[in-house]
Amino acid sequence: MHGDSMVEPVVNHHVIFGLDPLWLAVSILLLVYAVVMMEKFNRAVLSLLGAGMMILGGVLTQQQAVAGVDFNTIGLLTGMMVIVAISQKTGMFQYVAIRAAKAVKGQPWGVLAMLATVTAVFSAFLDNVTTVLLIAPVTLLITDALGVRPYPYLFSQILASNIGGTATLIGDPPNIMIGSAAHLSFYDFLLHLTPIIPVIFLVTLLLIWMMFGRDLKASDEHRHLIMAFNENEAIKDHVLLKKCLLVLFLVIAGFTVAHQFHLEPASIAMTGAALLLLLQTWGKPLKDKDHAFEGIMAEVEWTTIFFFVGLFIVVTGVEHTGAIKWLADQTLAMTGGDFNATVAAVLWISAIASALIDNIPFVATMIPMIHDMGPSFGGEDMLMPLWWALALGACLGGNGSLIGASANLIVAGFAQRAGQPIPFLVFMKHAFGLMLISVAIAHVYIYLRYLI
Amino acid sequence: MLATEFMIDQPHTCLIDEPVGDVFLRMRAQGLRMLPVLDAGGCVKGVLSTYSVLGHIVPDYILSGDLSAIPYAPDIDMLRTHYTDVAGRLVGGVMDEEYLSVGPGESLLSVAAALVGFGRHEYALVVDKDGLLKGMISAGDILATLRKITCDAR
Repeated sequence: MHGDSMVEPVVNHHVIFGLDPLWLAVSILLLVYAVVMMEKFNRAVLSLLGAGMMILGGVLTQQQAVAGVDFNTIGLLTGMMVIVAISQKTGMFQYVAIRAAKAVKGQPWGVLAMLATVTAVFSAFLDNVTTVLLIAPVTLLITDALGVRPYPYLFSQILASNIGGTATLIGDPPNIMIGSAAHLSFYDFLLHLTPIIPVIFLVTLLLIWMMFGRDLKASDEHRHLIMAFNENEAIKDHVLLKKCLLVLFLVIAGFTVAHQFHLEPASIAMTGAALLLLLQTWGKPLKDKDHAFEGIMAEVEWTTIFFFVGLFIVVTGVEHTGAIKWLADQTLAMTGGDFNATVAAVLWISAIASALIDNIPFVATMIPMIHDMGPSFGGEDMLMPLWWALALGACLGGNGSLIGASANLIVAGFAQRAGQPIPFLVFMKHAFGLMLISVAIAHVYIYLRYLI
Repeated sequence: MLATEFMIDQPHTCLIDEPVGDVFLRMRAQGLRMLPVLDAGGCVKGVLSTYSVLGHIVPDYILSGDLSAIPYAPDIDMLRTHYTDVAGRLVGGVMDEEYLSVGPGESLLSVAAALVGFGRHEYALVVDKDGLLKGMISAGDILATLRKITCDAR
């Protein structure tokens, strides 16, 4: 997966039944993708089965498979999941959401804009799924109190979570993967991706206002209800909140300076997680500490972690056969080797693909492909615009449909349970155009900043 | 023993197009927890229970379990708003369309088994083949009947 761990295409003479390794590896990859998309089985199980088939089929040895797993991505994800699992127990998400709604005096459009902003900011620094999982229920409560329909609010939060998540290295799993594979630091993301995100967010918000804003009205009585919320009651554990804020501050500060100290983000996140696990139960009996630790471990999304592990091995298998190099060559042939056209192709193909399929396996496949383009464009250092195109396309593309990102499905599932279903086609009708506009803005940004 | 022998005939009822608030006031005044809902022709269309009214007042997003503890919300004012909304609706929009009905010729054991098996309400409506309400039987009515039979046997 990494530039420095790139392996030249090899022909493995021990492939099962003497099959062509290229076709076997590609078949396994496509089979895993297809069955994952059917959503009939757990995706972690499928990717691990695919990984097993790569090894048992003789495409990879176990050592090659393990070397293909990007433990920086795995460590960063796991560490942040632990930090979020502890932080969410404090009630700080609900506190911020209520404060935001009260800050605009319960004015319906203001509440929408504030909740979307809160979602975007949280999503930039924390997991998107956790963010929407905690903000969406409070949103239904707030819209109920306001007497307005919740759809525009939930819709804006889905878009905000994906836009906000694009802003930083840790905002969205594709960024974590890209950052790790291309050795891009948290600071690099702040410098190159963050500046365009407020522009995209504000334009999206403006378009949402044009779609829904003028119809959002609430009576004075309903607005007074919003002002009657007591955000201080939302904080469940003040001491834990202080510990969480301290660790979050240290971790984010650590991310920004990690590169200068030659530290990988995974080391920062895992150390932060360990520190918060220690602080969380400081002074309590060992039995309580063990119980709390086991509780937090149970909340880590192991499905996502093992999905990544299996996926890295499957993609490494395909990479070893030279299939991805071939795909990179074909892409370059299609764009005539023109750098600008290649950047545009990566951006738009990533966006459209991410709207329709899971962006994690897509990015996992694109990363080695972009690495393989290095020699054609004068080396790894010249690939930066391609990495930003991939990040912007894959993250923003998630807004194109309800299945474009996990956070979208989480909100839709929650809305369904709450008797406020978000129909797939209605969402797509509203969101796909906004996604295209956001990608167009990203395209202009990349062109102006890197290509002229 | 047949249903007609231990049912309450001429039970209190409400009409499908009455406001829920008015019917609820009547239920409180008469100490009732459930009323059969009839259309203009006297046919049974459902039942209105205090439970079904409450089910419409508590928001679905609370019932879904995703937001259980909300000490920070002005719950009384929010529920009052919901109550005002539900009380202003017509019975037809709030009633349970699923209810337990038994025929006038069903046995005591059959009615008792049906009540226990249904599990949602503790009343069975005795409805004839034309859908007209003949009476009502509660779990308490069955127990009272059994008690009377036991005492008589002694």
